[in-house]
Amino acid sequence: MKLPRGRLDKSRVVTDPRDTLADVLDRELTGYAVFESQKTLLLDGEGRGVITFTDGVPALAYHTGTDRGGPPALADLAIPGPYHVSLYALDAADLESAHEAADLRVPPGMPAERLGGDPALADSTRRAAPDERLSTTDDEATATESRPGEQSAVEAFLDDAEKIEAIKQQARSEARERAQEWDF
Amino acid sequence: MVEVFAVASGKGGTGKTTSTVALGMALADRYDVTVVDADTGMANLLFHAGLSDAETTLHDVLAADAPVEAATYDRFGMTVVPCGTSLDGFRDADPGRLRDVVAALAEDTDIILLDSPPALDSRTAVLPIVLADRIVVVLQPTIPAISDGLKVQEYATTYDTDVAGLLFNKVRESESIEQVSEKTERYFDGPTLASVPESERAREARRAGRPLLAHAPECEAATAYRAAAETLTVQNGTAADAADRFQSAVIPESL
Repeated sequence: MKLPRGRLDKSRVVTDPRDTLADVLDRELTGYAVFESQKTLLLDGEGRGVITFTDGVPALAYHTGTDRGGPPALADLAIPGPYHVSLYALDAADLESAHEAADLRVPPGMPAERLGGDPALADSTRRAAPDERLSTTDDEATATESRPGEQSAVEAFLDDAEKIEAIKQQARSEARERAQEWDF
Repeated sequence: MVEVFAVASGKGGTGKTTSTVALGMALADRYDVTVVDADTGMANLLFHAGLSDAETTLHDVLAADAPVEAATYDRFGMTVVPCGTSLDGFRDADPGRLRDVVAALAEDTDIILLDSPPALDSRTAVLPIVLADRIVVVLQPTIPAISDGLKVQEYATTYDTDVAGLLFNKVRESESIEQVSEKTERYFDGPTLASVPESERAREARRAGRPLLAHAPECEAATAYRAAAETLTVQNGTAADAADRFQSAVIPESL
């Protein structure tokens, strides 16, 4: 995915990507966000996730570590924070050619569901999306893998035993370090 | 007998307080239940239990301004210890006293449910998990909620607190919950107690300041909470065991 650099709008560490998605929606930002996990220890923690937005509504997702786009890129990004997030503002025209890449497209509400774990934010995002984004070729029903027999992103996440073991190990080592700090 | 459960989730918005109160009411059919709002920085149990005008709360007890008996209220068949919502109350409260509060309550009840803060980032947030015998992890069937729930479990077990079970909450029909819960169980030390559907009744109950099981006892979500309470096997401990446990929990020997 090639994007012009744009104007740096915000750069910060967030523990929950939901906050970034809510902020972008709130401010109707057009541009893109770069998510970088602070924990390179995690298997898929390397690389960056990029999500583009038009008027605060997510359009494309891409992960540089796995070179995957669309919904699979969101699964790659769905690891515990904190993340370092940089937001860049662009003119809508600068995103036009990038937004032609159909294979990178994500349904408007999916990042809020998959990364933010917040169905209510996903609903507000869908309400803010223009009608053509909610058309049958690009709607949640076809892309959220909720059709019978098809595996959901949550199940795919749960099948990745190594990734989950890494999350658990990281939490255990954090808990041990903090036990001393907190005098438990 | 007494067993202390922390109702915990790594993430906010999972319906943890609704779940704590609902589990408490369902368990109160068989046990003497005490529910404590241990989320002292963002208390909201009082709004769920019709106690928004409670004069004395856990904040006063933690500030050593009142004995714990002054902050207990009999509501809906349970003993409820609400927490206040003011910043001053939070500032003056010494979270370290929570241990003594729980030990005092343990003298006179079968089950204590601690509604815990949805975070792991401070001593205050983690303390209820440390003080509990076991945790009930409240999850939504989403990747962030499950990974945060895993972190809660690992913190708990590192501090010698076991896992009583998982409660999937706010489950939507599209979420293929059976497969998700079966796969989730592989990574947790406890079984799925129930899957509670997303419920308009739960939102109504919250607005009405009443527990879900009092507001809509026959709804699907209330039925699921009762099933969870049935599945939960309460272990017999004595108040003395609990006191010992708090000693070792606060300074685990393995650390």
